[in-house]
This record gives sequence, C-alpha cells and structure tokens, in this order.
Amino acid sequence: MVKTIKKMRPLMIVEDSDEDFEVFCWALQKTGFTRPVIRAESAEVALTHLFPELLQADRIDPLPCLVLMDLNLPGVNGLQLLEQLSKMKQLLSIPVVIMSTSNNPLDIEACYCFGAAGYITKPFKLEDYIEKVRALTHYWFNTVMLPEGSD
Amino acid sequence: MTEVTVKNVDLSSCDREQVHLVGAIQPHGALLVLEEPTLRIVQASTNSADFLGTPCELLVGQCLDELLGFESTAAIRIQLATKNLNSAFTHLISVPFLSHQDSVVHISGNRIDGLLLMEFERTTDSIKVNPAYEYSSRLQDMIQQLYGGSGLLSFLSVVVEQVRVLSGFERVMVYRFDREGSGEVVAEAKDAALEAYLGLHYPASDVPEPARRLFELSPLRHLPDVDYVPVPLFPDLSPLTDGRPVDLSHSFLRSVSVMYTGYLLNMGVKATLVMPLMKLGKLWGLVSCMHHSEPKYLCYEQRFPLELLSRMISLRIGDLESLDQFAYRVRLDQAHGQLIGEMGRAKSHFEALFGSKINLLNEIDADGAALLEDGKVTLLGKTPSEHQVGLLAKWLVQQDVVVLATHCLPDDFPSAESFSDVASGLLAIRVSLASLTWVMWFRPEVLSETHWAGDPNKPVIINADGQESRLQPRTSFALWKEIVRGHSHPWQDCEIEHASKLRQSLQDILVERSYQLMQLNTELELSNQALNSFVYASFHDLKEPLRGIHNYAELLKLEEGEHLSGQGHQRVETILNLTGRMHHFLEALLQYSNISNVEQDYQACSINRLVEEIIDMLKKTNPDENITVDIQPAMPVMLCNQTGLRVIFQNLITNAIKYNREAVKALKIGCYTTNDTPIFFVQDNGISISPEFHEYIFQPFKRLHGQKEFGGGSGVGLAITQKAIMRQGGRIWIESGEGKGSRFCFTLTPDRSEERG
Repeated sequence: MVKTIKKMRPLMIVEDSDEDFEVFCWALQKTGFTRPVIRAESAEVALTHLFPELLQADRIDPLPCLVLMDLNLPGVNGLQLLEQLSKMKQLLSIPVVIMSTSNNPLDIEACYCFGAAGYITKPFKLEDYIEKVRALTHYWFNTVMLPEGSD
Repeated sequence: MTEVTVKNVDLSSCDREQVHLVGAIQPHGALLVLEEPTLRIVQASTNSADFLGTPCELLVGQCLDELLGFESTAAIRIQLATKNLNSAFTHLISVPFLSHQDSVVHISGNRIDGLLLMEFERTTDSIKVNPAYEYSSRLQDMIQQLYGGSGLLSFLSVVVEQVRVLSGFERVMVYRFDREGSGEVVAEAKDAALEAYLGLHYPASDVPEPARRLFELSPLRHLPDVDYVPVPLFPDLSPLTDGRPVDLSHSFLRSVSVMYTGYLLNMGVKATLVMPLMKLGKLWGLVSCMHHSEPKYLCYEQRFPLELLSRMISLRIGDLESLDQFAYRVRLDQAHGQLIGEMGRAKSHFEALFGSKINLLNEIDADGAALLEDGKVTLLGKTPSEHQVGLLAKWLVQQDVVVLATHCLPDDFPSAESFSDVASGLLAIRVSLASLTWVMWFRPEVLSETHWAGDPNKPVIINADGQESRLQPRTSFALWKEIVRGHSHPWQDCEIEHASKLRQSLQDILVERSYQLMQLNTELELSNQALNSFVYASFHDLKEPLRGIHNYAELLKLEEGEHLSGQGHQRVETILNLTGRMHHFLEALLQYSNISNVEQDYQACSINRLVEEIIDMLKKTNPDENITVDIQPAMPVMLCNQTGLRVIFQNLITNAIKYNREAVKALKIGCYTTNDTPIFFVQDNGISISPEFHEYIFQPFKRLHGQKEFGGGSGVGLAITQKAIMRQGGRIWIESGEGKGSRFCFTLTPDRSEERG
C-alpha cells in the first residue's frame, strides 16, 4: 500500500452571510492562520460535504478537523444541523463550535445539549473579533489536539 | 296565699296569682261541684238562689235530681257515661229554664280532680234561638271572605272585621305572640272613636305563663262585665279535695285575674271576649274582642259560631304562615339564582353582589349588607360604618364559624352597642377560609321598625298611691321597648339557608375561577415563552445587519484609511458612533425585557455586602472618580431575589455617580425599618430632577439630558430598576429638591401601612 502524504485537514465554516464570512476570514488572516478553509453557505451543502455517502457521491475533499457554524441559516438552521450531526457516529470525532449573533440562553443551552464543543457570540467590534478568533485558533490548533487521521 | 286584689296588685303578682284556683265565678251563670256516681252536690256558687231557685246552703248535700228532676238527671247521666269530660267543659243538655219556662238553660260538665263540675248558663231572653238557619248562612259568607285573603296579615284584617260583625263588639284585635312570649297587635277593627292599638307591643309578663296555659285549655273566655262582683263557692273549700280549692282551669264562668280587670279598667273596657288562636297545639295568638261603652254579654248560642270561627281561623293561620314562608323561600331562591347569574356575567364576582338592581338585599328581609374582602369593605343599604364592619369581622373570626346568625348582636358583641340601631341582627357567612372574606346582612333594632298607632301624648294613669299604673298599654309598650333594646327580628331558617347557599355558590365560583386562572396562567406562560423567543429572534435579526455595517465601516477605516480624506474619516467615525450607540441601545432593551424572565428565587441576603460589592466594582471601573459612600442606617439581612436586587442597586448607584458634576461624589445609602415595610434609599449630591419630571423618569427611553451630556445613556436604566422593584412587589419614588441632589427611595415588599390607609 502506497503511503500518500496526508493533506492538512481544513477548517470548515458554515455561514450564509458573505459579509460575516469575509470579516471572519479577515480576522483569521490577521491572526496568521494558515490552514485551508472551506465554506458551506447552507446546512445542506455542509451535510453533503461532511457525509457524501448520503447522496451516494464520492468524497472529494478531506473531512474538516473543526467546524465553525452559524445558527441562523436559510432552510435547515444551525441547531437542526447540529442535531443531525450529533446522530452520525462517523462525524462525532469532529468538534463543532457555534458562532452566532444570539446570546439567548436557551440557544446556548440547546447547542451544548446537541454536542457543541463551544459557543461564541459574534463580536461587535473588529478589535474584539480578532481577539476572539485568536483565542479560538490558539485553543483548537495550539493547545488541544484535533483528530488528524485519514478518513 | 296572699290575697291579690285590684288594690295591691303589682308586677310580680302576675306569676304568683293562681287564676285557676280562685274559687269564685262570674255572675252570669252558676256552678255546682258534684260527687260521682251519686251526683250529690258538694259545693255550689252562692248565686244559686237567684240562678237556680235554691240557696246554696240548701243545695249542698242534695242530689242533682232533686234540683233538675228525674227526667233531666237521667238524660245527664247518659251524657256523663258517654262523653269525655276530662279535657274541657262539654255541653251536656239544654233544658227549659226552671223559673222561666220560655227560656233555656245550658248545662255543661267537666271532670277534674275526681270531681264533677257543672255550669249553668241562661240564654238571653231577647234571643230568638234559631242557630241552625241563621248562623250557618252567615258562617258560609264568612268562610268565603276568609278564604279570599292572600297572605297572613291581610287574612287577619279580614278576620277582625268579620268577628266584629259577628260578635257586635266595638273593638276586635288579633295578638300574635313571638318566641319569647311578647305580644303584638297585628290586626284591629274598631269604632272610629276608639284609640288604636294596632302595632302595640307588650312584654311577655302582660299575658303571664299561667294565663297562656289557661287560654290553651278553653276555646273561649268571656268577661261580660268588668265591674262584676265575683261569686264565691259555698263552702269555699271542697270537703273532697283535702282542703284545696277546686280547680277551675276549664271553667267558662271562672272569675278572672284582678291583673286583667285592672288592665281593662285602665283601658276603659267594660266587657271582653277572647278566643285563643292555636297552631300545631300551641298558643299562637289571641282574638280579643272589647266593648267600651257598656257591659256586653253573649250567650251560648251567640258564642257558638264565634268559637267555630276561631277554630277555623286557627287552622287557616297554619296554612297561611306556611304559604307566606314558602312564598318567601321561593323569592329568596329566585334572588339567589339572579345573584349567581349576575356573577357569571360580571367581571368581578363580588362586584355582582352590589349591583343597582340585583344585589345582596334582593328579597331578603334585611336593611343593609356588607362585603369584607381582604380588609376592603363594600357597603349597601343601612349599615354600620366601614370601620365598624372591620371590627365586626375581627370578632367573627374569633367565633370560628362559617355561618353566624344573631338577633341580639350587642348581647354577643358589646362593641356593637354603638350601632345597634342599624345592626341588632347580623347574618354573616365566611366565603373563603383561605382569605378573610365575609358577606354580612344587617337587621335593625326592632324598635326602629315598630310603629304603634296609639297616641303618645295621652296622659298616663296614676294610682291611688301616686304611682304610675303599670296596668296600661302605654306602660306595657315602654316595658316591651326596654326588653327588646338591642334586638332585631330573629332570622328565619329559610334566611339562614339562603345565606348558606350563597356561601356555597360563592365558593364554587371561587374554585371555578381559580381553575380558570390556573389555565390562563399556563396559557400566559406559553405565550410569554413565545414572546420571549420572538424578542430574541428580533434582536438577533436587528443586530446582525447592524454588526455588518459596523464591521464594514471598521474595515474601511483600518484597511482603506489612508485613502480617505479628513472629512471621509470623520464620516466613517460617525457611522461607527451611530451603529455603536444603536448596538448599546438594543442590548439595554434586551436587558429590560429580560428582567421579567429573571427567576424569582428568594434567599436570605445581606444587603450591606451586596451594596459594598457593587461599590467596589464601580470604583474599579471608574478609577478617576472620587467617590465616597456613607451607608446608614445599616441595611438589613432579608429574604429577597439577589439578581433583581443587584440590578436595582447597580443602576441607582451608577446613576448617582454618572449624573454628578461634583468633584467628590458623595453617596448616602441606607434603609429605614421603622415601618412594617423597610424603605431603602440611594441619595447623591449630583444634579436634581425637577418635580415635573418625577413621573416620567421611570419610563423606558425617557432621557432628560442630551446624548453628549453625562456620557450618554440608553434611558432604560431607571425603567429596568423600576421593573425589577415591581417584580419584587415594591415601588420606587424620587425625592429631589432643586439643586440638592436626588434621593431615590424604594421598597421591596407590598406597602402594608399604605393599604390600611
């Protein structure tokens, strides 16, 4: 068996807002983040990507090592997607961190109940934005170990 | 036994006088006492010479056939063998009068104490005896008349008129006795010239117990001439009864009480005829006939129809009283139904009890009503004052009953003396055991409802010894008034039932309402939850684009800053400023709406420590400010919602520092515990708020200053504070004089002293 060079597993962002995605990427760049980033504009796209078997399709990209997810998505919303993911054994090893405008305690509690690995409210000021993204990437990529094994 | 005569009569003699052992008769007949079975005469009234043709001395020792002849005696013996003579004087035979053969003598007999008593009475010479024809048609007329009346009182007014016609007496009255034996004239028919006695009341002692008992024994009493000379018996004591006087309980001729004749003399009455009215074997009242102008004698034939009539009246009284009761009961039931129906329609069920048309006083015989609900008094009609009703309720609670009826309230509750005129009678129900809710009905003192038709200015009668005579209606009335002072008419069973039923219905309604409330609460909770999610969703949707604008403006500033002109910079800053303000604003609004969602868990909390914590925190976040805080009087440790309390103090203290231009911001914080409800205050030396704004400052988004003054603000701080205070059941107010700083005061629990007013 030929040993292939493992691709670096990407960071996946589920975000329907182009503006938010742009600001997030800007903040990532400011913190010097180098991993590949893939984006899904909706829950359906995210699901196809994470679990192509569902549509009898072949996997193209490698599985992400971490998913950042907005709650307010068109169609199937973030919470529903989180619930579906929590039922898929194959995906349980991928942590999902929620990034939302909402600070509703009910939302926060529900997300943790469905297995979210964290909950971040989207900051209002860019300065705070950078701080939060720095802390986030520092934790997940410099502090703790993420599953890197091949699928 | 002391001899009781008209001269030495006094009040106490009423009960002492043994009327049935008087040993004398009235002169309109003769009495013989005989021994059975020999029918030997052992005593005779001393008028026997005039009446029977033989002096009493001769009669005693004779046998009856010597007086009446063999034939009549034989007829009497048959009657004696067949008739029951034990319970009354019973008519035996009528025979031609011994000396006047065209006149008739009626003989009746009574067995008592082993003796046979025989009374002889003559028919008045002028009477053409034809009772069968004459009276039967007259009686028929009367019966028809008597059955025409509706209701007891109108029936009795027909009765007195009819009896007056039938008897020929100048005045006919009906007395009714109440439970205690006091009497009242409830119907009267009289010659126009005579003084009216209708409405007159007299005490039980006026018709004393022995007299009432005798009335129950004889269907009719007749006193043809009040000035009669009593006829004694000869010998005065019977040799057959161990020296006791012969018992004349059933005697028609029996001499009357000197009390009675004394009374009649004072009233100017010459002759009377009295028939008892019985109901269920008990003396209910009397039909009393009086003649004022001259003595008046009704002979046996004339009395007979009256006797029949009185028996018929007695029967009818029972019916009519039951009917009146029944009708009253039906009316009460209808009133009850209306009240309940009204409660179903009204917003507040208790309000429905006090409508202008339908209310607690419908139908029930009461002049006033009151509702006491958790210290709040509602009055209707003639009642004691609110304060007095409150006292009454306190007394009621001590009685430990749910239904209470009294017709002599001042006897039971001496403080009620002061309002006995409106409330001598009280009927009260406790609606709810949980809360102090009472419904009460009041009945006035009997006196206020009594109207004697008599002339109050008529002079009183003075005795020979200069004393006011007791034996007259005026004195009776005065005496009766003393006895019934502080009394109302007693509550009837159906009235007490009416109250109990209303109590039950009110309780049912309360239970039903609390069930509805529970349901509403559940619905409200659900709708609150929905509203809450809506609020969050809305804020989310508003914040998202706002954040986008803010982010982009910032990006513009950071990334493209060098390409912007000075003015462009300025404009980007303004965008950032405005979006920042709006964001702050939205957050405050969310906090305000969230106050209602803070869980109300109450814990013992040291308010001193809480305040100190807040001050420490504020000093750290405002390191440049010079702040002094004086906490006194000291704060208590009390049960409260800590989260809520933190919001309250934090907002007030922040304001005290923020709206303050002084170099040293001097705060005074404290708590007065002299009242039931502790009053907290936060006082500053900052700006003061003029009184015209005191009402508005607690409204959300109400700002008194421009955006640039005092570091700006959302205008929600005081609104949040007030909401948090109201959540705990308290209230907040401001005491602020121009230029003297502001002083915010608040309570954390409902203000009890204010409720008491």
